[in-house]
Amino acid sequence: MSVLLVIFLMWAVTYPVRWLGLSLGRLHLPPFWLSFLQFVPVSVFAALVVPEVLGSPEWPRRLVACMVGGLLMWRTGSLAPGILGGFAAYWVVRGVGF
Amino acid sequence: MGKWAGWPSPDMSGRTLWGVSLPIAAPPSAFWPPFWRGFRALMPLWLGMVPFAVAYAVTARAAGLGVLETQLMSVTVFAGASQFAAAGLFASGANALGIVATTALLNARHVLYGLSLSRTLPLTRPQRVLAAQFLTDEAYGVAVVRGPQEAGGLSFAFLLGAELSLYFIWNLSTLVGALAGAVLPDPAALGVAVVFPLAFLGLLVPLLKSRVTVLVALASGLGAWGLSRFLPGGLVILLAGIGGALLGALLSSRNQPQEAQA
Repeated sequence: MSVLLVIFLMWAVTYPVRWLGLSLGRLHLPPFWLSFLQFVPVSVFAALVVPEVLGSPEWPRRLVACMVGGLLMWRTGSLAPGILGGFAAYWVVRGVGF
Repeated sequence: MGKWAGWPSPDMSGRTLWGVSLPIAAPPSAFWPPFWRGFRALMPLWLGMVPFAVAYAVTARAAGLGVLETQLMSVTVFAGASQFAAAGLFASGANALGIVATTALLNARHVLYGLSLSRTLPLTRPQRVLAAQFLTDEAYGVAVVRGPQEAGGLSFAFLLGAELSLYFIWNLSTLVGALAGAVLPDPAALGVAVVFPLAFLGLLVPLLKSRVTVLVALASGLGAWGLSRFLPGGLVILLAGIGGALLGALLSSRNQPQEAQA
């Protein structure tokens, strides 16, 4: 199969699922499932963070970065200082040789 | 932005123009400010995005894809993890259907993002068609956390701004990587992978307002860590994401039966 066809098929299995969720906004859902959807952000963000930190071969560095970054984001309420501060902390730990 | 900015506002303040009702309403000038706020809200993530798009492009080129094919995947599929996986699979000479199936598996989680967004953000059909193409983990995260802080709540303009911010940098970096990849440094050497957990942690922290949300985050996070030992990343997010949200719904329906009945 040609590369172009594979790329097209990759698109064909990706775009519709993105569209599907967005298109179900008017679907009437019982309270349980509305509550379910309210917990999706918390649940997904945690699932995106933890394996990337604890499952990484360089987990001690990432753990320190996330502790520093998380504290900064909690104090400032803004993303950029947390990311930059956490990244700096990562390099401090890496620089010391951990 | 500038073209419409100078329009006299009195004529444009209503929802009709010369008696004609405008379904997408608002004057053009009302679109761009939230668009750019969304665009800028995602810019802290560029630091992590650039090296990864470059790395994807280098991997894809090494796997034998041409510059155009490498770029086309970023333009159409536009999903980091599955593009990486595909580049790796092309390199290993994997079966084409295997590549497509892996992509479907990795990207199934997007249905959750759309569902979650569509609860708070009613979109017209053309808006859905457009917003769907550029939906990503990062744009969803920024829209769902930062969007409600906008005056009037999350808007299509803000969402699209966040989405295109990522699309722009991902595609630009893909091009740079596809053309000049061999001379650029390896992202692992730069340590930028840590930017992704940092960004999502930053989106997670303000949501941890109650005991139930903390429990959900712990269960989903640790569950994902466990699953990630034997399942691909995108599927892990989907399963842990559903599991955690189910737990949250179960706990809150058990905690508030009186309120639900009232």
